[in-house]
Amino acid sequence: MRKRQNRIYNRVLHEIESEAQIHPRYADLQNQLALLYMFIGETKRAEDHFLEALRLNPKYRDAILNLGLLYIETKRLKEAEEIFLSEVRRHPKDGFLHHVLGILYVRTGRKAEAVARIHKAIQHHSYYRDYYRTRGVWRRGLVHLDPKTERTLKKIRLDQHYAQFHNFIGLYLAQKGKPAQAIKELRKAAGLKPDEFTFHANLGTVYYYQGLYPKAILEFQKALEIDPLYGMGYANLSYVYGLLSRTQEALRFMKKAVQLNPQYADLHYNLALLYSDRKRYKQATLELKKALRINPSYLLARINLGVLYEDQKRWNEATREYRKILKITPDDEHIRKRLEKIS
Amino acid sequence: MLKEDFVIQSNIRRMLIRTDVDSSKMDFGTVKGVVYVRGIFQLSRLYTDGDDEKTKEFVIRTLYSLEKKIRSVPGVTDVIFQFVNWRKEKGQWVPVEMRKKEEEDEEEAESNL
Repeated sequence: MRKRQNRIYNRVLHEIESEAQIHPRYADLQNQLALLYMFIGETKRAEDHFLEALRLNPKYRDAILNLGLLYIETKRLKEAEEIFLSEVRRHPKDGFLHHVLGILYVRTGRKAEAVARIHKAIQHHSYYRDYYRTRGVWRRGLVHLDPKTERTLKKIRLDQHYAQFHNFIGLYLAQKGKPAQAIKELRKAAGLKPDEFTFHANLGTVYYYQGLYPKAILEFQKALEIDPLYGMGYANLSYVYGLLSRTQEALRFMKKAVQLNPQYADLHYNLALLYSDRKRYKQATLELKKALRINPSYLLARINLGVLYEDQKRWNEATREYRKILKITPDDEHIRKRLEKIS
Repeated sequence: MLKEDFVIQSNIRRMLIRTDVDSSKMDFGTVKGVVYVRGIFQLSRLYTDGDDEKTKEFVIRTLYSLEKKIRSVPGVTDVIFQFVNWRKEKGQWVPVEMRKKEEEDEEEAESNL
């Protein structure tokens, strides 16, 4: 199994290397190359590519964090500390950054600073409360660092960058039409960093494409628990329920998706379909009009609007919409016949 | 019983993503069981060695297969393609640019007569 996996990683590495030669100024490709080198143990080359990614895009956060974690892995703790301190100044409420600094301080014997950082990690992200509680570090509202818990924390692997590696490989395999392998990689990513909503969202998407709907629902729900403002998560849930013909749930989630992404015409269109299927014509009409306001050349929304007017025997409005459609697509026999029928 | 449009639309969405078609350049919609597919028809990957004729044949095969797949979705009563770069004429898929070029060639030939 390991051999097969290595073959996959080497193949991906080879393809990304070729792509990076064609597009040497893509910071994303440099970051991906670095992750691949890091995974196969070529840490110097990994560092070079992370630095190149940052030279191309100095604000590339993933590359910054990956480089910091690489420094921790290669025991260059001073450089790692500088990176994470600089990041935490920019993102003071990011629990992960405090967590990394806490572990780093435990490893370097700076107990008071470690306690302060772990406390902040717990304060800013509830995930770390359980994380430290199960390791005996968080008890009765206080951080306890004794020889036993210190030993535990020193053994903790900071493998967020490995999670990113598996996530990236998973997405790559999914794009290449290899969903089963993609799922394996994405599960590894989510397992390494369960509080990262992107991994669950990606896993949900691949399950959805694979037709594994209950698993897709579960992953989208996990993603939404972590980030309740992830609008497309609600849209995806709605599509999955649509595939299961459970349109009541689909409607509930599509409404939420529209609420969070009011400028996305396609979501208004889908909400309109759900309303018109239930013969809630007024609401369906309203949603189609909103879609057309956002995107006036959204012909499909206009077609549905015309048919909706026809259903309501609003002949003049239906005629008006059909005529507008035929101006753009005069060969549309379907609409021409509808227009002739009501004229 | 007529299948609900949203259910059809969700099926088409998933089906398009699972094909070799680049769905990012296309729009699709469903109205009373009639599926509309519009935009630019392109493949996300090609399995030919770059030979123009083979590529064209491959694209045409994919178009027929796409139509068959859409029609096989429960509840779909018809499918209407409105691609910018491909159109169906008398049951045959024809690339639009090529057709224009052939018309221009014919016009040129006529003017030379």
